[in-house]
Amino acid sequence: MLSSLGNPRQAAAQLMNFGLILSTAFMLWKGLSVITDSPSPIVVVLSGSMEPAFQRGDLLLLWNRNLFSETSVGEIVVYNVKEKDIPIVHRVVRKFGSGPNAKLLTKGDNNLSDDTELYARGQDYLVRKDIIGSVQGFIPFVGYVTIMLAEHPWLKTVMLGIMGLVVVLQRE
Amino acid sequence: MYSSLVRLQNTFGFFTTVAFVIAAFIAASDFASPRAPSVATLKTTSLQVVRGRPHYYSSKKEEYAIIKFSLDANLSSLFTWNTKQVFVYVTAEWPSSGAEGNATNQAVIWDTIITAPSADHLSNLGPASLKKLRKSAAGKSIDPSRGLISLKNQKPKYQITHPSGKIAETQDVRLRLHYNVQPWVGVLAWNQNVDYGRWKRLKGDLSKKFALPALKTKAATTGAAGTGTKA
Repeated sequence: MLSSLGNPRQAAAQLMNFGLILSTAFMLWKGLSVITDSPSPIVVVLSGSMEPAFQRGDLLLLWNRNLFSETSVGEIVVYNVKEKDIPIVHRVVRKFGSGPNAKLLTKGDNNLSDDTELYARGQDYLVRKDIIGSVQGFIPFVGYVTIMLAEHPWLKTVMLGIMGLVVVLQRE
Repeated sequence: MYSSLVRLQNTFGFFTTVAFVIAAFIAASDFASPRAPSVATLKTTSLQVVRGRPHYYSSKKEEYAIIKFSLDANLSSLFTWNTKQVFVYVTAEWPSSGAEGNATNQAVIWDTIITAPSADHLSNLGPASLKKLRKSAAGKSIDPSRGLISLKNQKPKYQITHPSGKIAETQDVRLRLHYNVQPWVGVLAWNQNVDYGRWKRLKGDLSKKFALPALKTKAATTGAAGTGTKA
């Protein structure tokens, strides 16, 4: 790259390549989001409340469309508590009513009691639109990198530093 | 094409491709193994409706139903080499009357996690029970005998209620057995209503209809329910 600084056309081509890679990755993510109808179609398990099924660092694939049947008791869903941005992965244990206003109660397999304490003040049940997806598939361990990056932010700087060094040192 | 970085990149790319293809094969192998789970008995043995508070600080008292049941099921065909655990749960379901028309209500009254021997080290039992669990499957990598469930007059884990607070004298309640198979790699599967290829549906999973009794008199039940859903 040092050699191409003197050649603006090559520098521009490299920049465009870089931009293309970034936007392809972004569009793949957004495309998957649209197909599954979920704002976050792939999530990493952060807590141990669903052990032994899901361990910290496992990757979950979500699907948010009710094509064949409604979300029912026993499904593992990911939901956001109102006004908070923390996605929680738990199992639906109760359902009252049907359609979009059905009341749902969730509980983690490894927790002794249900999620009533986690919901917003005054909220006793979830409704379908609180749920951002239902778990359909599962890949173990792959997401642990994300957890490490989140819990040790200096790792991010180190990784970026190494990537920058590699780009500068290579010739093509 | 001769720098070590490019070689590293190529190796890593190949590794991920191979890992992905193997994972896809393992997941697909799940569909090739046949499943024929069945339930011999599922019936209630005792029914009770009591009053209790949802939290210790609530001022309103609600009605809770305690449904004891007996279960005899054979889920051994669900355990394959790719099974991590089977989550078995019994729900009580009943239709809503009145304004909601065909709405149904479902609530889990009891559940359990049956781990496969390959996942025993992940279960959250204490050291003594964990040792017992591992000894029960000593030498075996798959243990279908773990899929045999036999419960007599089992106390439910959860006492259920309805959002309206009233559950006494509800009609047409049935118990249903469900399972959720969690694989090491692949798709999660629940009990199904139709046969898909080699996977047969769960037979006998519905109990007979029953009605919940009326609330017992105050003298008999004061203090009996404690907090609602915490068993």
